[in-house]
Amino acid sequence: MNMKRFFEPLILQPKPENAITIAVSSRVLFNMEKEQQIYEHQGMEDYIKHQVEHETEPFSAGPAFSFIKALEAVNTRLRELYPDSEELFDVVLMTNNHANVGLRLINTINHHRLFIERFCMTGGNSPIGYLKAYHTNLYLSADPVKVREALGEGIAAATMFTQEKMKEVSETQLRVAFDGDAVLFSDESERIYKAHGLDKFFEHEKAHENKPLDHGPLKGFLEALGKLQKKFYDKGQRMDCPIRTYLVTARSAASSGTRALKTLRSWGLEIDEALFLAGAPKGPMLEKIRPHIFFDDQMFHVEGAAEMGTVACHVPYGIAQRVTKKGTMNEETSSAPK
Amino acid sequence: MVATVENTDVKQKDADRALIVAVTSRSVFESGADDDGDEEVYKVGTAFPLLQALQRVNERLLEENPAESLLFDVVLITTDRQQQQQSSRIISSTRHYGLEVGRFCFSSEEDFTESLLTNNVQLFLSTDAMEASQASQKGVVSAQLDQHAASCPSEQLRVLFCGDAVVRLSSSPAPASQQAPQSFSAQLGEMRQRFGLFDSPVSVVLVTSRGGRESCGTALRTLRSHGVSVDEAYCLAGAPRGPMLSLIRPHFLLSVGFSDLKE
Repeated sequence: MNMKRFFEPLILQPKPENAITIAVSSRVLFNMEKEQQIYEHQGMEDYIKHQVEHETEPFSAGPAFSFIKALEAVNTRLRELYPDSEELFDVVLMTNNHANVGLRLINTINHHRLFIERFCMTGGNSPIGYLKAYHTNLYLSADPVKVREALGEGIAAATMFTQEKMKEVSETQLRVAFDGDAVLFSDESERIYKAHGLDKFFEHEKAHENKPLDHGPLKGFLEALGKLQKKFYDKGQRMDCPIRTYLVTARSAASSGTRALKTLRSWGLEIDEALFLAGAPKGPMLEKIRPHIFFDDQMFHVEGAAEMGTVACHVPYGIAQRVTKKGTMNEETSSAPK
Repeated sequence: MVATVENTDVKQKDADRALIVAVTSRSVFESGADDDGDEEVYKVGTAFPLLQALQRVNERLLEENPAESLLFDVVLITTDRQQQQQSSRIISSTRHYGLEVGRFCFSSEEDFTESLLTNNVQLFLSTDAMEASQASQKGVVSAQLDQHAASCPSEQLRVLFCGDAVVRLSSSPAPASQQAPQSFSAQLGEMRQRFGLFDSPVSVVLVTSRGGRESCGTALRTLRSHGVSVDEAYCLAGAPRGPMLSLIRPHFLLSVGFSDLKE
């Protein structure tokens, strides 16, 4: 019999509940702009046909690519120090794509030497159930509708966009930057600012300096990063820690910033660098920091960061979503495969 | 002794072209605590929604092409003496629910596998694992119907292929034990092709539980070589299967390539 029958060995991926699971859609991990155009202008059948015809041609990197690569660098360091631990980053490819595109995606993952062994190609069905089944800590997608849905289910999520400019980032240290209000913290103070103006905002923050703000959608993710950082500190690697976190906020150090810092302290969370811009644009500061990813609830800041080459993503949460600025990036995407 | 009865309520399918699926009557109808025949009609069982889904696929196939011959041909089969005695109740229940059953096979535990073969059954479904295994050993593609999976009210027929045991074939033709699964897959694949990517009454799903992307890629290629285009694919790499299966909600599970594999 010319037949080999065998079971694939069990790949040693961590259990979802032990790992920090990052679910990423295909369109943000890779650049699928050309294919997206085909889908939008020629329809699904032509899109699939094109994908299958070009199955052996790998996609190039998308906005989330360097972030995902950096996660693997952290994993390598964690495995060196804690070889038996399952507290690692686990990346799941979570796409709406039809499984016909599967082989091209697998070929691309192989080509770029990414360590992605788990994926869901839902063929058009909602990813939400699968996000929950994987205990997802962060979901990144090009589709704002799915991102909003995930946020509604209590899953940290952000919308990513294709950027023309992406500055070079570290290959050895993962850097994650967060806006404060409506990202790490709730939007309660932003509401006051929007309703009553800057002066009232300062007054309110000073008066409530010692009352911790409520938590925002990305607090849990910062917490997860902090947990991993501590593992490096416990082994004496504070100076050489491959994870660094940043708070980049429009609050000012002199006044409203205090409440932010006290809130983080009350949560037992550390942030490596807090940058209080007192309303100045975030782009130039981020360009100096070079984070792999920056989360903000306001498209104005996301665009500003992206213009200067920082990979910025939008957290569609809170009061800022009701007040949109002119000239924002087109958030409306068709129900395209992601 | 096996008795085969045609269901005169239903138009008979083209035996050469149809995809013959046998389902046990015990799976379709719930035998109540008292089977004394007081009630004319059984209550619906685990496999009832499955039959409805198969029926829906046929309806849509005929919508696309009224002369379509690649249709599901459902055979209701009894696999024990007790059910075998209940023939009239089984027939009247089938008629009562308007189920598109082409034939009834009244066999017992000794001869049901033979009647599967004589009826050229290409897929045998039962809630009983032993029965599925016995049929498998005779070379009939078989699957055990899961209590939960098959009773989910999904309108769309959802067929799950498990890609964990991968058969790598060399260039020689498929051995006998491979022909039945491959020909079934090929016909199912052809049926799926009658519909577009959206709004299909049948969806083909692949799950690889143990391996990573390589085993999933291999399974996709294997299915493609058998003429099956997969709609949804889930590569678990060891993540717990239970939560995924309850989201995927398949009507039944098949192995890629093998019908007699024990996981």
